[in-house]
Amino acid sequence: MSAPQVIELPENLDMPAAAQLADAFAKRLGEPLAVDASRVTRLGASCVQVMLAAARTWKAEGDALSLQSPSARFLEDLNLLGLEPTTFLNGVIAP
Amino acid sequence: MDPMQAIKDTFFQECEEQLGELETGLQAMEDGTADDETVNAVFRAVHSIKGGAGAFKLDRLVKFAHVFETTLDRIRNGQLQPAVPVMKSMLRAADVLADLVTFSRDGGALDDSRSNEVIAELSAHCEAKPAAQEEPAEEPDGNPFAALGWEPVAVSLEPVLNQYEIVFKPKPELYAKGNETTRLMRELARLGSLTVHCETADVPLLANLEPEQSYLSWRATLLSEQDLAAVQAVFEFVDGDCHLDIEAVESAAETAPEPETKAAIEEPKAVAEELRAAAPALREAAKAEAAGTANAAQNTIRVDLDRVDRLINLVGELVINQAMLTQRVLEAGAVKNASIATGLDDLEHLTREIQESVMAIRAQPVRPLFQRMARIVREVADATGKNVRLKTEGEGAEVDRTVIERLADPLTHMIRNAVDHGLERPEARTAAGKPAQGEVRLSAAHKSGRVVIEIADDGRGIDRPRVKSIAIKKGLIAPDAQLTDTEIDNLLFLPGFSTAETVSAISGRGVGMDVVKRSIQALGGRISITSRPGLGSTFSMSLPLTLAVLDGMVVKVADQTLVVPLNSILETMKPKGGEVYGLGPDSQVIGIRGGFTPLIDVGYELGFRSHRSDPMTGVTLLIETEGGVRSALMVDAIQDQRQVVIKSLEANYGHVEGIAAATILGDGRIALILDTDAIVNASCGRGTPSEMLLAG
Repeated sequence: MSAPQVIELPENLDMPAAAQLADAFAKRLGEPLAVDASRVTRLGASCVQVMLAAARTWKAEGDALSLQSPSARFLEDLNLLGLEPTTFLNGVIAP
Repeated sequence: MDPMQAIKDTFFQECEEQLGELETGLQAMEDGTADDETVNAVFRAVHSIKGGAGAFKLDRLVKFAHVFETTLDRIRNGQLQPAVPVMKSMLRAADVLADLVTFSRDGGALDDSRSNEVIAELSAHCEAKPAAQEEPAEEPDGNPFAALGWEPVAVSLEPVLNQYEIVFKPKPELYAKGNETTRLMRELARLGSLTVHCETADVPLLANLEPEQSYLSWRATLLSEQDLAAVQAVFEFVDGDCHLDIEAVESAAETAPEPETKAAIEEPKAVAEELRAAAPALREAAKAEAAGTANAAQNTIRVDLDRVDRLINLVGELVINQAMLTQRVLEAGAVKNASIATGLDDLEHLTREIQESVMAIRAQPVRPLFQRMARIVREVADATGKNVRLKTEGEGAEVDRTVIERLADPLTHMIRNAVDHGLERPEARTAAGKPAQGEVRLSAAHKSGRVVIEIADDGRGIDRPRVKSIAIKKGLIAPDAQLTDTEIDNLLFLPGFSTAETVSAISGRGVGMDVVKRSIQALGGRISITSRPGLGSTFSMSLPLTLAVLDGMVVKVADQTLVVPLNSILETMKPKGGEVYGLGPDSQVIGIRGGFTPLIDVGYELGFRSHRSDPMTGVTLLIETEGGVRSALMVDAIQDQRQVVIKSLEANYGHVEGIAAATILGDGRIALILDTDAIVNASCGRGTPSEMLLAG
């Protein structure tokens, strides 16, 4: 099995970045994917929605989706939004 | 404006109110008219100032307020009796607190020695209670309460935690407008300890996702010492762009009846609980405070003064416009139509009512002004070693804000005078059979459309022989002048008169009573003195309730329309032959009921005509100027008596001697409002002997 494709998240994941992010995920549908969050300095709820939708989709497809080296800021913002990185790692979405 | 600065401004405005409450409460405590609620109110006032000051990191203010609050708490708990020396320190502390507020707002220099002195005083009162003495030594950090064996600092810095449940669901508009949930949550987290739960169930699969939509919602629990308003303020800018529900949760400690259950339930909140137990008083105060603010918020709004003034100006224009319309209709002869006449009457009625209501917006009770005077009395009493109590009455009387503002200086001066010059030293009082404590009474009352403010002392009264001899020495009156008691008293208002033998730091500041009188006159007021030897003096000021309208008599002079302020007119009369006498080449007097009064031709005086008119053809208005001087003003005819809207001549044109202001009449023409004092002064400056005026 080949190494998963990597999506490198941009620094600024604010609302205008959401549509682009959704496109980026849509292009890699059907293959294992790693999301590199090392550069993220700002995480908005709109992009979180996209990532959650992606996680749910990848899970439904049975493909692996993982989170790579999240930045401190990414984790901090995620925490502020009441979410944990494991949500993405496992593709699990809390009910 | 910088939003932070706006919040700070509001804080300082509130400080003023709290300081007012504080002063009132402390006065009541000193008078012995205080109940438990008074002490609570005083405590709350200091506590609120401290709370706000803490938010703005005004450390000196916080530090002092804290010591003050701690002492008040001991009084509230009955550990410290509010005896006379204690109350003295309390009042001094209130003064220092006011200074610190002013310093924090305006900057400038502040002498720490006074606040340190008061801090030492307060702590001494607290330490005096033997029960509190566990460790008599003072801590090296200078905290005066370190010796008390309890830790107020810990209490004040960690106030009671409130629990809020927040449900938040953004609408897509929230994100479209550039707002961000992450940022809101970060703001919330700053207020205290935040637990967030994100509801993700609505998030669809990627194929169905619209990136601009909003699928997530949040439930958050916040433990914070901040009040509900602070939590709501976080969402201020997203109001309407989200579903928001913020609920302050009744704390379990208050609802749980059994201590055991409480312990079980409250296990995770042990720290908060501990703090609660440590500060029941604070919690109570905070609750009452929150209730108080909530009520106040419902009943009042803060409005920029400029807006009110603009409204007043517009209503003034409306009144003028209405008068003009009425006149036009009259001229057109349409008034025969009854419905038009009724309509005009109704309009006039309404305009008046609007005008009065708008004026009422600017009206404020004199209470804050009187409260400031309490402090002046204390300071002067301290400086002169006199024992004085200030009694105030009628603080609720409302006057225009500008009148209040401009009254502060003259009132301060008169209060200083009353304590410094009016009241005797305690020994002299006792010798005269009076109580050692002198009394200064400050009262306000509405009387016939004006407000009358009186400052009365129960001191020695005016020393008339001395006043007269000084006036002679200074060349203010002729050595052989025969003056009545009232005239001698009024000499105090002459420029250049000062009775203080040694210039003291208190009243001898180069400002004499003449300046006071001029300030009062500039407000359209008048001032008078009554004095009884050995029993005291009373200064009485009568002031207009507003500076925007004036009751005047509309008169005709040399084809010009003038308005004479009604408050200066005593009577009007038509001179008969043989009542007018020439006095020298250039003046005339009129005989009224056996006395003589200078006759002033207004038209000649203002330069409307080059020669004097025949007094027999006109009407004379007997007026009294502020100094009690009577003169007869000669005009051609009296037209009307009505309320006019004052328009400043200085602001729109320039100062004209003898004219106070202008107004616009119904026919659209400008009418000048006469400055009767200036006219009289100008006229006597041209040759009428001053003794004559005084004796008139």
